[in-house]
Amino acid sequence: MKFIKKIKTMFNLEKIRSDFKILSEKDSNNIPIYFDSACMSLKPNSVIEAMNDYYFKFPACGGRSSHKMGELVTKKIKNTREIIAKFINARNENEIIFTRNTTEGINLLANSIDFNNGDIVLITEKEHNSNLVPWLYLREKKGIIVKTIPLNDDNTFNFEKFLELVKGVKLVSVGYTSNLDGVSVPVKEIIEVAHKNGALVCLDAAQTVLHERINVKNLDVDFLVFSGHKMLGPTGTGVLYGKYELLDKLSAFILGGDTVEYTTYSDYKLLPVPERFEAGLADYAGIIGLGEAVRYLNEIDFNDIKKHELELNSYITEELLKLPNIKIIGPSDPSKRGGIINFYIEGVDMHKIALMLDNMANVSIRSGQHCVHSWFNNKNIKNSARISIAFYNTKKEAEILISNLNKIIKII
Amino acid sequence: MPCVIALIIFSILGIFSASHRSLAKEAFDCVFKRITLRPCNSGFKEKIKSKVLSKLIDRSVFLTRIVNKHYELLSWIFFILMFGSMAWVIYGGYNFYVYGSCNGLNESGFCAFDPSGKNNKISEVNAECGITQKSSDKLTLNDVDLSSFPTKNITNAKDSIVFIGCYACDYSRKAYPDIQKLITSKKTNFVFAHFPAKGDTTFLEEVGYCVYKDYKEKYWDFNNYLFTEDKDFILDKANINEILGSFNFDVEKVNECANSIETKNIVEKQVEELKKTGLYGTPTIFINGKAFVGPKPYRVYRSAINKFIFF
Repeated sequence: MKFIKKIKTMFNLEKIRSDFKILSEKDSNNIPIYFDSACMSLKPNSVIEAMNDYYFKFPACGGRSSHKMGELVTKKIKNTREIIAKFINARNENEIIFTRNTTEGINLLANSIDFNNGDIVLITEKEHNSNLVPWLYLREKKGIIVKTIPLNDDNTFNFEKFLELVKGVKLVSVGYTSNLDGVSVPVKEIIEVAHKNGALVCLDAAQTVLHERINVKNLDVDFLVFSGHKMLGPTGTGVLYGKYELLDKLSAFILGGDTVEYTTYSDYKLLPVPERFEAGLADYAGIIGLGEAVRYLNEIDFNDIKKHELELNSYITEELLKLPNIKIIGPSDPSKRGGIINFYIEGVDMHKIALMLDNMANVSIRSGQHCVHSWFNNKNIKNSARISIAFYNTKKEAEILISNLNKIIKII
Repeated sequence: MPCVIALIIFSILGIFSASHRSLAKEAFDCVFKRITLRPCNSGFKEKIKSKVLSKLIDRSVFLTRIVNKHYELLSWIFFILMFGSMAWVIYGGYNFYVYGSCNGLNESGFCAFDPSGKNNKISEVNAECGITQKSSDKLTLNDVDLSSFPTKNITNAKDSIVFIGCYACDYSRKAYPDIQKLITSKKTNFVFAHFPAKGDTTFLEEVGYCVYKDYKEKYWDFNNYLFTEDKDFILDKANINEILGSFNFDVEKVNECANSIETKNIVEKQVEELKKTGLYGTPTIFINGKAFVGPKPYRVYRSAINKFIFF
């Protein structure tokens, strides 16, 4: 498959916001100031329309029914697989397995890789529960060893410790970009070292796909998982990418309809990858919507996205640090934190701040432990408030956020 | 503590609004957890607190800071005030049901359930009568001789009612039918006394005395007539003969009796006896010795006779 370069449209924020119904309401009071894209991105109208098209015009089964509507669904699903493969520069669409989300992708791997007693899985100290709990479960179930790579003081990836721990590891499974602090790990180097040590590498790219162009071929990554709902797509959609030869060696996890070529009363023959991993009737509307989300993202230059997000992150970081007692999780340099500014104040329940922002100015941020309980428990920090930026956010929104935060800090 | 307040308030608001209903459920969940000695970790408290603070912060940062700092204490204060006012409202409701006024028997202060105060309106007895005090506590039948007043005695009756009213008083006319209904349904003893609180009605008292003296049974129909017929008609002295005639009374004899010195003395004595009750307005109704001033709803009179208020 050729990686076709497209001419990107200019980064026009006004035009972009007009593509999102929720951001282009006539009454500006009804427009939310949404800084929780790390949890759930907003959806452009085209994604919703694509899903509606499925339900209104061809709500049929794909891959099995031979009537016109069925054929159209099959074609749309195949097309989405191709678009996604091209989006991350996979070798072909058969390396794309549709899942419900990142969590399901990692669980599929955990249950399909031939793990044995004593096999080592290496993760970092700030993994999302989705990239922690499946391995801890396998430790109980199969006796694998789960090792964690300690972080640097500023929460960044400690490469020296990684070099010490990588020997003898079967799988290195790390978050490409952390949902805790927005820091991306040096994936290229990690993958090189891991491969030299005979380890496979799985990247949790849930927090990366909306902010950075991923090229799986260049990275030479073995497995990569991400969610649709964090990259403008519908909820309940996700992708597991894997090198075809590796996917082909995995044992099946969930079996049933759509995973087999034929069955007898005593035998069955599995379909090839990727179908064998996509049991049951798929979320066709969701997958078609995901395809549309990728198509939308393909129209925007990721360099522009990165530049815009850095500008907002720099402003928010600078203003936040002027406030008393605020501690930002991760490095203070915003350029190292992608689109995330996660902060806390000792002794303060950060839920209160998030709730007040919501009540005062319709500003949505997330508070809590962000599914990284292990890190919070280890640091003995109760919770934090996370501001996560996406390319559709504006400087004006950031200013409103800061001015309201200023007020709140004064009363706490 | 804020959860308890929220549960009560949102439960009431939830009757009318679905969004408050869900908040009431959250509050209930929180209260239930606390009652069962579990931590309320639903975040409900913070949710409500942040709503309060968010509303305040644009008005006064200082005030918001105080509320934030002393939220628990303020919640307790509001909790106590709320329960205090709730108890007060319940007490007021009880008073209104039993006495026709939120403030208690014969109290005429503002009552939300009876904003016009119609249950306590009276025809005030003027100062000329020498009756100035208005405390219903002093109303009494002790040492009042009622023997000369029209009386209905029921054998074995446990309850007794004394109705002091005025034919010219609208409030007496309003209460009179209810009292008649009560004495019929509860089979009570009954004493009727006319007190000329308004206008020149002494002649009716004199006529009434004479009718009762000679026509004990028919007197009550005559009395009912005076309380129910057109007021202007019955208060016009020129019509009295026509009225007496309509009841087939001996008009001449009744007039002779009413105009006699003896009757006038007795009627005067009756008024003096009634003044001993301390009455300050009509109607004043004594039910088993307890005074009810003003036209109360029927249930109030009935409650005074009922053994357990409601039955």
